[in-house]
Amino acid sequence: MSRYFLLLLLTSPFILLSILSALTKYKLGRSTKKHFVIQVVIWLLIFIGLASAESIYIWLFQHKLTQTEPLSLFDVIQITAIIIVFYVANRSRSKIEILEKRVQDLHQELSIRLSVKK
Amino acid sequence: MDIDNVNINNNMSTKQSTPKICIIIPAYNESAVIGSVIMSLMNELKILKYLTSIVVVNDSSQDDTSIIARNSGVYVIDHILNSGAGGATATGLSYAEQNGFDIAVTMDADGQHSASDVVKGVEEIIKRGDDLLIGSRLIKKKGMSKAKIIGNKGLSIITYMLFGINSTDSQSGLRVFSRRALESLRWKTSGYEFCSEMLWRAKQLNLQISEYSIETIYTDYSKSKGQNNWNGINIVKNLVKRRIAELMG
Repeated sequence: MSRYFLLLLLTSPFILLSILSALTKYKLGRSTKKHFVIQVVIWLLIFIGLASAESIYIWLFQHKLTQTEPLSLFDVIQITAIIIVFYVANRSRSKIEILEKRVQDLHQELSIRLSVKK
Repeated sequence: MDIDNVNINNNMSTKQSTPKICIIIPAYNESAVIGSVIMSLMNELKILKYLTSIVVVNDSSQDDTSIIARNSGVYVIDHILNSGAGGATATGLSYAEQNGFDIAVTMDADGQHSASDVVKGVEEIIKRGDDLLIGSRLIKKKGMSKAKIIGNKGLSIITYMLFGINSTDSQSGLRVFSRRALESLRWKTSGYEFCSEMLWRAKQLNLQISEYSIETIYTDYSKSKGQNNWNGINIVKNLVKRRIAELMG
């Protein structure tokens, strides 16, 4: 199996999950159309970049724009790890923001209600 | 101003002819001046023939801000945790919304805003029918140091670049809100960067935003309490973070 195909195979589930998550958020009214489009464009660009990595490398090599070695197994693992970290970081940030907003609202409401009792 | 002749904007409550005005003062460790700020405001509000209420949001101060404000006869909301200027302002506006106020005004607690500008703001929003009225210190620039002018203008330019909002003073604490703005306007940041984010959210909600000229009273105290240009860098950093986070969904 080609290493470029292996890279695509390993990262595709995370890209698909991210697009699915953005679509679900949009359909449930938790994000705007603009946010949904931006999210999808970002992940599609990553997917296209990975899918055409081999062609890009060959073109660059043929035109003597790069002298690097073809994709190694270590590179595949490293790029997959970067995609996973990006996916996890984005999800975590989104969840932290929701929690932060809830704590803020709770604190606000609590302060107002406790002030009434004084 | 004759109450019967007041042109009440459609967005305001029509249940009563006299608009209810809430003046919100977010305060953190302002015991040195909060008493005098409240007193001057009370004196000035006497000329307004509206139902007015002053609310101090004590952002978990470590000094006697809360006690002094309460002894001055105003309503005090004590924050349990220190939440920053944005958090304290949001609490004050939420209180105004929950208690059926038609107009809310926010002003700084350090005495840099004149009480007469608060009254002027209320009259202006009623006259113009805007949703958000910003008291701009940079239309006249009187009393402001060059460093402050550069800092504030810089932040206004960055606000324009990031959010497309054209404001002469995006960081002004004196703001007047209509009922519609009270009901819909929300923001995510809690520090001073909320000033720019609030304008951005207002734009997203298609709220009518405008400005009016105010004077700035710079005393040694307000100069020491105000934001410096280094804090401005922090504001820019947080605004850029907010903008990127918003893009990521």
